[in-house]
Amino acid sequence: MRALMLIAICSVTLAAQQAAAPRVTSQDLLDGLKDPTRWLTYSGEYNGQRHSPLTQITPENVHQLSAQWTFQTGTLGSFQTTPIVVDGVLYVTGFNNNAWAIDARSGRPIWRYRRELPEDLHNCCGPVNRGFGVLGDRLFMTTIDAHLLALDMRTGGIVYDVQLEDYKVGYSATVAPLVVKDKVIIGIAGAEYGIRGFIDAYDVQTGKRAWRFYTVAGPGEPGGRTWPQGEAYKRGGGSIWVTGTYDPQLNLVFFGTGNPGPDYYSNAREGDNLYTASLVALDADTGQLRWYYQFTPHDVHDWDSTQVPVLGDLTMNGQPRKVVMFANRNGFFYTLDRLTGKPIVAKPFVETTWAKEIGSDGRPVLLPGHLPDEDGTKTCPDLGGGTNYMSPSYDPTTRLFFVTARETCATYFAFDQKFKPGEQYESGGTQRPRDQKNFGALRAIDPVTATLKWEFRYTSVSSAGVLTTASGLVFAGDGDGNILAFDSRSGKNLWHYQLGFSMRSTAGTTYLLDGRQYLLVPSGSTLTAFALPRS
Amino acid sequence: MRPLVWLALLFGTGALLLAQEPPAANPAANNPHLGNPESIRGGMTLYRVRCGECHGLDASGYRGPDLIAVLSGGATDERLFQTIRKGVPGTEMPPTTSPDDELLMIIAYLRKIGTVAPPASPIGNVENGRRLFASQCMSCHSVAGRGGRLGPDLSRIGASRSHGALVREIRTPSEWVPPSYETVTLVTKDGERIRGTKKNEDVFSIQVMDLRERIQGYLKSNLQQVIYEPGSLMPAFDSARLNDSDLTDLVAYLSTLRIRN
Repeated sequence: MRALMLIAICSVTLAAQQAAAPRVTSQDLLDGLKDPTRWLTYSGEYNGQRHSPLTQITPENVHQLSAQWTFQTGTLGSFQTTPIVVDGVLYVTGFNNNAWAIDARSGRPIWRYRRELPEDLHNCCGPVNRGFGVLGDRLFMTTIDAHLLALDMRTGGIVYDVQLEDYKVGYSATVAPLVVKDKVIIGIAGAEYGIRGFIDAYDVQTGKRAWRFYTVAGPGEPGGRTWPQGEAYKRGGGSIWVTGTYDPQLNLVFFGTGNPGPDYYSNAREGDNLYTASLVALDADTGQLRWYYQFTPHDVHDWDSTQVPVLGDLTMNGQPRKVVMFANRNGFFYTLDRLTGKPIVAKPFVETTWAKEIGSDGRPVLLPGHLPDEDGTKTCPDLGGGTNYMSPSYDPTTRLFFVTARETCATYFAFDQKFKPGEQYESGGTQRPRDQKNFGALRAIDPVTATLKWEFRYTSVSSAGVLTTASGLVFAGDGDGNILAFDSRSGKNLWHYQLGFSMRSTAGTTYLLDGRQYLLVPSGSTLTAFALPRS
Repeated sequence: MRPLVWLALLFGTGALLLAQEPPAANPAANNPHLGNPESIRGGMTLYRVRCGECHGLDASGYRGPDLIAVLSGGATDERLFQTIRKGVPGTEMPPTTSPDDELLMIIAYLRKIGTVAPPASPIGNVENGRRLFASQCMSCHSVAGRGGRLGPDLSRIGASRSHGALVREIRTPSEWVPPSYETVTLVTKDGERIRGTKKNEDVFSIQVMDLRERIQGYLKSNLQQVIYEPGSLMPAFDSARLNDSDLTDLVAYLSTLRIRN
């Protein structure tokens, strides 16, 4: 009897030890897609390239892709999420901070989390969410009422719930957390409500805040003089709502920052308005600013720079360079030096009427007549920008950068508006010119020269992201509900499938399961998994 | 135990009474701000701050729907009020706790920009305009369910278009063609030509209503050519086709069209 008891105790202890082994380690995050059965960060890799090493689906066989299963949320609202994939299970966030663990083999749900949200939320652009971060056995999610949650991966139960700021005055959070070493790095949204933006890091274990970097410089701080004296900086915007990237060698995190507030009325905030509409490079351990580059000084067109900063190594003018590639909402594509933030090359990738070029001092050379006013001024691109929150992709084999481009124009208006906490604070708006024919395109850009290599035009504008694979494929989405596959070298369209709703923000992700490569596509309130026929 | 039962009964009765109470009147049913210039100015300011970003400063839609089209489609002020108050679940349209008066001022502003008031005294002969409409327009346009479907339904056109706009759209219809009524000609691989209005399109397919009012989708891979015609299918009614007097009568008739549902 005693021997049996001992065996039983040993078994329980062993089981407990097995259960205690963390599912995802910091090393796993560093390794990224080296293990292609997993997709652990927003862009798949810390470098933001959204490029998978998988080669089972090829230009030759991609036309054989077919839907394997569909998961429907049963909720209102559409996905803007990138699912996390860990050991055969998908972890997915949705509208109104619903979240699910889903069997990646069958599409069947395992658990569901739903947040009780207050009724008096302030949110400019829908209660969306862009995905989980993961470390150990924990998932991390930001919420529309400006909290950070840690959930137990096994149950969806809350481990901790930390308030970031007060949602009642317009703060909200939609970004997928970036987990770096022992920190969960997030950003705050709400610039359309006159908030002061920031990037925060929280301790993975305790949820205690480790550092904060304000994206709007205050009085007496470096950059503080780029704001008028007084309280303008307190409502200066600079939201963070798209996940940044990380360079482990430099120990720097890179985040694009949002538009200044109020959006359109120039007189409310004279100056460059640092660090809005910029790329900031922060020390991952301390949050200290290492360098910044402001794409649109004193932005008055709502052109957030909250695009994914894509890290890569290029040979430029015969020299190896560590770079950041950035297709900006203001219509310019930039290749920046990753060590200094200085632009190496920058050119428009869509029609831009507001700036002639980027000067040798790194500032845009402005064209006259593009300051919004009471009568309205026509400018290209529109407030949605040359591109926006949809993820780009970089294929290091072809050395091409792929982006969903928008060809648009708008008439911009501006007027004075009194600030009232909790009320929208944009001081203007836009109208689409009646004769304006907007369209979208997938564009392949050479980041060494910032020139277009090929494009595939859509009939309407699209907000879908891009994914590339090492087999030479580009997956993208149009604005009409199609997911499409292209030959990455030629731009030839090889396959498409009508999903019923366009992909927004998100791109497809891909992973290997039981030796089979899946393409996972969130669109509308459905997730669809595609694969080749079983051989 | 008995007091508890009584309490429960009392509460139950209260709930029943509450349930039987008539629903609260919708404030938009009696909107004191309609037509009041000061309220309309206030409504404009509120609209610009709270609504313009999504619905466009001219209310013709951006991320959110075209409110002018909603109004000209017959949406009631009560429905507008409820939508603004409660928001639209599952969309970017939030609910609001703002005072009723502010919502009513926004509605007064939208009514001002989205609705054309009937002329104090009709200019032109409405009866002759009705006859002209029946002979010249009805094969393509419908009113109250009667007429063709190739062109837009005109049952409420009088409430959404000014006199000047109606004249312009009759004389020069190709100046601006509304979405869903753009002209296309599809050429099949057999050489057959199908002309009609484009209802929808993506890279791979196109959906049209042909001249026989048949709706049909086509895969572009099965077509030889898709010809996008710059003008409207509607002919230009210049003065040779419709003299100024008849035009005035036709516009007079169209201005009377304000049929809801």
